[in-house]
Amino acid sequence: MALLEVENLQVSFDTASGRILALNGVSFSLERGEVLALLGESGSGKSVTAAAIMDLVPNPPGAIDRGSIRFHGAELLQLSRNERRDLCGNRIALIFQDALAALNPVYSVGWQIAEMYRIHGRNPEGGVEKAVIDLLKAIGIPDPERRARQYPHEFSGGMRQRIMIAMAVAVGPDVIIADEPTTALDVTIQAQVVDLLATIRKRSNAGMIFITHDLGVVAELADRVAVMYAGRIVETANVFELFEDARHPYSVGLLASQPRVDTDEDELVPIPGSAPNPVALPSGCAFRTRCPRAEGLCAEVIPPLETVGPGRQAACHFPVSPA
Amino acid sequence: MTEPLLKVQNLSRHFGSGATPVRAVDDVSFEIARGETLGLVGESGCGKTSLVRTLLKLGPATSGSAVLDGVEITKARGSELHELRRNMQVVFQDPYQSLNPRMRVDRLISEPWALHPGLVPKARWREETVKLLESVGLRAEHADRYPSEFSGGQRQRLGIARALTLNPTLLVCDEPVSALDVSVQAQVVNLLAKLRRERNLAMLFVAHDLAVVRHVSDRVMVMYLGKIIETGPKQSIFSAPAHPYTQALMSAVPTPDPRLRGHRKRIVLQGDLPSPANPPSGCRFRTRCWKATSICTEQEPALTARTAAPGLLTACHHADTEFARRL
Repeated sequence: MALLEVENLQVSFDTASGRILALNGVSFSLERGEVLALLGESGSGKSVTAAAIMDLVPNPPGAIDRGSIRFHGAELLQLSRNERRDLCGNRIALIFQDALAALNPVYSVGWQIAEMYRIHGRNPEGGVEKAVIDLLKAIGIPDPERRARQYPHEFSGGMRQRIMIAMAVAVGPDVIIADEPTTALDVTIQAQVVDLLATIRKRSNAGMIFITHDLGVVAELADRVAVMYAGRIVETANVFELFEDARHPYSVGLLASQPRVDTDEDELVPIPGSAPNPVALPSGCAFRTRCPRAEGLCAEVIPPLETVGPGRQAACHFPVSPA
Repeated sequence: MTEPLLKVQNLSRHFGSGATPVRAVDDVSFEIARGETLGLVGESGCGKTSLVRTLLKLGPATSGSAVLDGVEITKARGSELHELRRNMQVVFQDPYQSLNPRMRVDRLISEPWALHPGLVPKARWREETVKLLESVGLRAEHADRYPSEFSGGQRQRLGIARALTLNPTLLVCDEPVSALDVSVQAQVVNLLAKLRRERNLAMLFVAHDLAVVRHVSDRVMVMYLGKIIETGPKQSIFSAPAHPYTQALMSAVPTPDPRLRGHRKRIVLQGDLPSPANPPSGCRFRTRCWKATSICTEQEPALTARTAAPGLLTACHHADTEFARRL
């Protein structure tokens, strides 16, 4: 049994210009000890997926129309609000993108980490205070006894992000969802955060969903990748297969668009056009208007996510041939 | 040797008066040749934006000089400044905030011609607007639309078209692609490369995405806490930098190749950026540097050629002549 299974999830939002399908039949599973990257550009549905798992889809205007989210085999969407809340933060934790907005400015950092133990009724060995200090030490905050009494504004951006991570992992969740945790950070700080997440993953055996648009960070951290486009998963593969031998034309295009810091390439090969308007998605395959391989069939039939090799799937009528 | 297009000497920009002003840009010197692209990198708070704003005369210089094509930027006023602005144009980061939402594209593009009469006669505005739109990959009918009708990538193309209306010699790009998705970012990067070839444009390209900077630049300049700490041809800066900070910066960039995972040496910097109001004595990087010795506290290192790499200037007492980025 997978640790977390998302099946055929559909989430919609009412907007001024009409109803949009933010997620349109998303399915994936997460195993223990695995890092699954959800890779996609703005509006592809990565963050909505995280919000749906954490019960954070604002309703209204948003609603989960159908689908299933199973945690250890139990259906989350049928739980009561309170049951759901007991799981979130406790067994399933979320690391937000913007640590300054996510931390409470009027409580000390130590108090906020300790709150995780209090709310979830945990009594760590040696007491909560010691657990907080140990945790701050583990994430590389110097002078943790003094720092625990300080407030979020007294920390740098990178430290705040690490404190957010400490809060998320404090009570040892089974699933950690990281929503663009390195996006707003400078490269040297980003490297610290990626290293910290890699360490946590080694130590804890939790499953991790890593949401990002950054191919470099995916290559550093992920075991498996699900590429999202316009509310669907268009390709899943292990990280090596995706970078060497992508099958969906969108994944191929994304990789060709990315300049590299370690070589000089002649010219980048961009994907033509821009992401479609979610209110008026193209018929059939949403990527067909930008796709070099599109044919008549693509306008008529939405390609289902089909197995294209051991452990990998692609949603394309005319996938790129194996390398 | 021919005169450089832009020559900056000992330029400083301090904020606040009193005993401890914030020294955002502190005694910076560099040149840009005609048709050359200089990349400027550094982390938040290093002074990139302050430097750009001072060069564009969007804020006064505290001291020093910057000469564009024979004209002193820091002292220019009135008609001289008006003329100067024609020769240096800017592409801003946010294509949503930098275009007036109430102006149609044809007015947005032709407004600079109204402000600089004599360049393009009014009768030819429409024709020239269409030419410009086409050169940035948009179409003639786009001239009659409003900015809100365009996607982010298209808006950035508009921003570039507008910056080119006066045929500048220097284009300053301040994070021009950071607001765009990867697939669209590549379109704009390629567009800038094409325009630069066609028009022999010089560019100052500021970005925090080092891979993009490597792709577009000829030379690269690295800033730390208001100072230029290393500058040189991009191959040297990216593959064999001699300054410890540049080395740490390069080692931190994630490479989009999972096979390299675990095989690269990553240099992790300790501590945080010191305050630019009270920078460390001597070398400003010494508080986070693993090579620092007493000389670093006492003497500020100057930008000098310290390795065999031609054109690489490094401001470090312990510059590393052997470092090559392990890949």
